[in-house]
Amino acid sequence: MSAIVCSHVDKAYGATSVIRDLNLAIEEHEFVVFLGPSGCGKSTLLRMLAGLEDISGGEVSIGGKVVNDLDPGDRGIAMVFQNYALYPHMTIFDNVAFGLKRQKVPAAEIKKRVEAVAKTLGLEPYLGRKPTELSGGQQQRVAIARAMIKTPKVFLFDEPLSNLDAKLRNHMRVEIARLHQSLKTTTVYVTHDQLEAMTLADRIVLLKDGVIEQIGSPAEIYRRPGNQFVAGFIGTPNMNFIDAMVARKGDGWTLTGAGTLLSLEGSDFYLQHGDRVVLGIRPPDLKTAEAGAANLLQGTADLIEFHGNDALVTFGSGGKEISALVPARECPEQSAPVRYSFEEQSIHLFDAESGRSLRKQ
Amino acid sequence: MRRRSSLPATFLVPTLAILLVLSMVPTLYAIVIALQNRELSTPGYSWVWFSNFADLFTDRRFLNAVWVSVKWEIVTVVATMVVAIGLGVLMFEVASSRMRNVYCLLFIIPVLLPRVSAAFVWKFAYHPLYGIATYPYRLITGGLIFDPLSKPGTALFAVASVDVWQWGLFFAVIVLKLLETLPPQPIEAARLDHAKRWQIHAYVTLPMLKAPLISLMFVKMIESLRSFDLIYVMTRGGPGVATETLDMYAFSQGFIESGKVSYASAMAVLMMIATVITFTMLWKRVQA
Repeated sequence: MSAIVCSHVDKAYGATSVIRDLNLAIEEHEFVVFLGPSGCGKSTLLRMLAGLEDISGGEVSIGGKVVNDLDPGDRGIAMVFQNYALYPHMTIFDNVAFGLKRQKVPAAEIKKRVEAVAKTLGLEPYLGRKPTELSGGQQQRVAIARAMIKTPKVFLFDEPLSNLDAKLRNHMRVEIARLHQSLKTTTVYVTHDQLEAMTLADRIVLLKDGVIEQIGSPAEIYRRPGNQFVAGFIGTPNMNFIDAMVARKGDGWTLTGAGTLLSLEGSDFYLQHGDRVVLGIRPPDLKTAEAGAANLLQGTADLIEFHGNDALVTFGSGGKEISALVPARECPEQSAPVRYSFEEQSIHLFDAESGRSLRKQ
Repeated sequence: MRRRSSLPATFLVPTLAILLVLSMVPTLYAIVIALQNRELSTPGYSWVWFSNFADLFTDRRFLNAVWVSVKWEIVTVVATMVVAIGLGVLMFEVASSRMRNVYCLLFIIPVLLPRVSAAFVWKFAYHPLYGIATYPYRLITGGLIFDPLSKPGTALFAVASVDVWQWGLFFAVIVLKLLETLPPQPIEAARLDHAKRWQIHAYVTLPMLKAPLISLMFVKMIESLRSFDLIYVMTRGGPGVATETLDMYAFSQGFIESGKVSYASAMAVLMMIATVITFTMLWKRVQA
């Protein structure tokens, strides 16, 4: 049985539609990440699951029960907010115990459960303190403890790591992953950080303008992006896009664009003579060309970003900026001519009009 | 360094000097008069030192005035805060943002009225025959007369209601604005934590607003000390001495009934000392 089902869910503020006809099923024990650029509706969707936003249309069910009209407290969920949302005037103990007290759990049991949760998250020394006396990471851990203690059916995380510094963010990300491994609670996690999404998710739901662009495992989304938006959004550094014309040539195909002529076997793609397509290629898939290599992209290096192991070389080719991620020792000089080639398996082709992937399933 | 440190003094000294003259001269003069036996009827006087104060403690009317003042203070402060928090929370919970603005505007109007005008308006409203506030009573009882301002049991509350009408509504606006400044996330977290509406306010929002609410209460406590104008217009301390607060009694001793200025001054001095001590203690307590 699915833990969460959204069917035909709509959300509108007045005339502005934020989420349109969204369908999604989340399995039990699954870790699902809502990913997308700012304003794509991912946080709104999460808040609708939590009951903090009304559902304008459609149906949301959690654990097999329609929750559209249920109060947030009665949905069997717990939420962790971006800015922790702790009760500033209460001690950490009272913060964690607040939900249990409202449910009239006996005091002795509350104490036992708070201490158990505090132990799991390493918060024991801080139970008597106020939230302001804790660091950001500790505060977020308190927020997680407050969510955990309710033993919810579903955890909701709303960009929980955005307020932390980079190092702490990595640390907390690992903690959340561990927590999910041990608790196995169904989790919905909202973020705009694709690294968080890729590392944590069982499945990523990629949203744009209130519409799901693609659902899939991190590997699927990275390797087989369903459209040009997904391809451009996922992956750092960003995928290169080159407009091209398709022409039939013998058994294979040629692509003309960005001042180059590429020839493909083309068996993986739906292609037709005269199509306008967008060729996508990730910077790490561009290799320094050997002599006599086919499928060349060439130009002069105008920007070189040194990353340590690798260097990102940006060069102009046919009026288009293209980036290649090459091992640092192959890094060219500034303004030197560069030649890169790629394998046919590593390219993506999208329809120029609709942006859809032309890859055969 | 020397030049630097003289600048604040240049600005402060004239202001402080004026303030000192304006506040200290009457205060000191009141203390001096309180130690004499001046009366408005005769120009002569002599020093009687503390006998005015000694007399006060055997004056039953003075002791009554102290009790009335304490009652007035407690009734007006508590009722104002209850009305302010109650209405503020109610507006926060049920009113749309447009209606909130309308209510805020309406609720600020009473406090803009001069106290004397407000007192007259309500004196008419409480009129036993024509008053709008007593109209429902006449209607229900078929024309029986209810005169809240002339009954010892109700007079104080009737006058206090005007004070609460002015300040409670105004403070409700402030409480609403304070609630609106709170971050929404702890409130949302409380909703997820199974808290009911009233519990959210009792356990989360109002405790978060503890400091400003206490400040508001102090403002009201100080404001309530100045009850004179309302009481003077509405009851003149009556019926009997039922609403005679300390400032009312001091005024009537000094200027209306016997012209015993020194006796009245002694009362004023005592009131000042009591106020200073009480507020210092309360303030210390709140700070702790």
